Amino acid sequence: MIEVDNLIIDYGSSDRKLRAVEGVSFRLGQSESLAFIGPSGCGKTTLLFALSGLLTPSEGSVRIGKEQVAGPRRNVALILQNAGLLPWKTVWQNANLSLILSGDYPAHNAQDILEELGLRNVKSRFPAELSEGMKRRVGIARALSISPSVLLMDEPLASLDTLTREKIQDLFLTLWKDRGFTLILVTHDIEEAAFLGQEIIVLTEKPARIKARVANREVGSLDYRQTEAFDRTVCRLREELER
Amino acid sequence: MKQVLIYICSIIFLLLLWEVASITINTINSGSVLPGPYEALSQVVKNGAELQRHFLASAWRLVMAMLIALVAAVPLGLVIGHERSVDTFVSPMIYIMYPIPQVALILFLFLIFGTGSATKVAIVAIVLFFQVLVSARGAAKNISEEHLVSVLSAGANRWQVYRHVIFPATLPSILTSVRVGIGVGIAFLYIAETNTAQGMGLGSFIKRYMLFGRDRAFAGIIAMAFLGLVLYVGIDILERILCRWKYIKR
Repeated sequence: MIEVDNLIIDYGSSDRKLRAVEGVSFRLGQSESLAFIGPSGCGKTTLLFALSGLLTPSEGSVRIGKEQVAGPRRNVALILQNAGLLPWKTVWQNANLSLILSGDYPAHNAQDILEELGLRNVKSRFPAELSEGMKRRVGIARALSISPSVLLMDEPLASLDTLTREKIQDLFLTLWKDRGFTLILVTHDIEEAAFLGQEIIVLTEKPARIKARVANREVGSLDYRQTEAFDRTVCRLREELER
Repeated sequence: MKQVLIYICSIIFLLLLWEVASITINTINSGSVLPGPYEALSQVVKNGAELQRHFLASAWRLVMAMLIALVAAVPLGLVIGHERSVDTFVSPMIYIMYPIPQVALILFLFLIFGTGSATKVAIVAIVLFFQVLVSARGAAKNISEEHLVSVLSAGANRWQVYRHVIFPATLPSILTSVRVGIGVGIAFLYIAETNTAQGMGLGSFIKRYMLFGRDRAFAGIIAMAFLGLVLYVGIDILERILCRWKYIKR
């Protein structure tokens, strides 16, 4: 269970405060998914960093399980916009970075994860030798290596072509269904939010406030994009964003 | 192989330029002012044993100075570059000390360390220290935020941030500063070696023969150039091993 209560995040000193997030509250159960959508620069990433423990909120609270989040946690994985791969580490080292840092390396399932994501043959390559799609898969492999109970994703498929993006969205959906982690996604892509979020929270421009909550419980099958429910959600999100 | 051939052609071209310069200058001055490459290289062969001893003495001093500078400047530069509070306190000191011509300190170093090898190593180490320090600091300031967030979100502690992000990200810049520093270091080593009484080192060798054995002095200059070449190639090889990710074909 993730509980966020009246989250407020300010940047800058006390006399020159810049509010990035204002009064965001939500609850999310285990194995549920939630997408945040809003205009670029509205404070979505800031919100996600607070959930991951990288930022301390100015006011309000973030709880995962029953514990207050006060820093990065071992059961919470974060996938960054460009996968956040380190150019000087190989695919294998990048995929296992979280385990190397926590001292749990090597993990018995690391090889299986690379196999599952189609990365076994490139494990000794450097990120610069990979396609953008493969880089994102390495980012996913890193997140999965710690068997997270919560997966946070910050526009994980930005700048990918449509087909690759849809393939990786399908992969996210399959992994979420199979592994049962709680998924929180931040995106500005309406279709991505509609495909992956059981609930979608529409945010205002900076500071990010909740503008609307859109229920999307039919999410969960790979052919959801071809359904009327998906089209309805997409239309609703577009209306809310334009409002 | 192709790289070696290019190196050889480049050196041959340089020797040709030297020959042309030697002929031109000696013709204008009607005398033997600038020895040609053949005369100088003959002296290298003739004085091989003596040159080798001086070469090794200079090489040892230069390598020692480089190691001392790296060990002192890299950690300090990275911490100053990454930790804002340390930067605020230490940077003014660097701004004051960096522009001081280090050669001005040579007399004080002779007084502190005497006229032996320690002073020569110290002066070169000081020169290299500031070069590496400023480069490491600058490189550490420009670390990608994405790479830092990537390891911090995975739970990295401060030491792990340095170990997995800051050091590898800045290593190419540090090695470039060492490369730049080699030329300056050799120049300062020459100054230090020529400012003492007779002793070992290529600077002493060159000084001894500059007036009445110019061909021999030029053999010493060639040995100094060779010392620089060996170190440049050494740093190149080191970079290709340590920063393999920079050299992959995309």
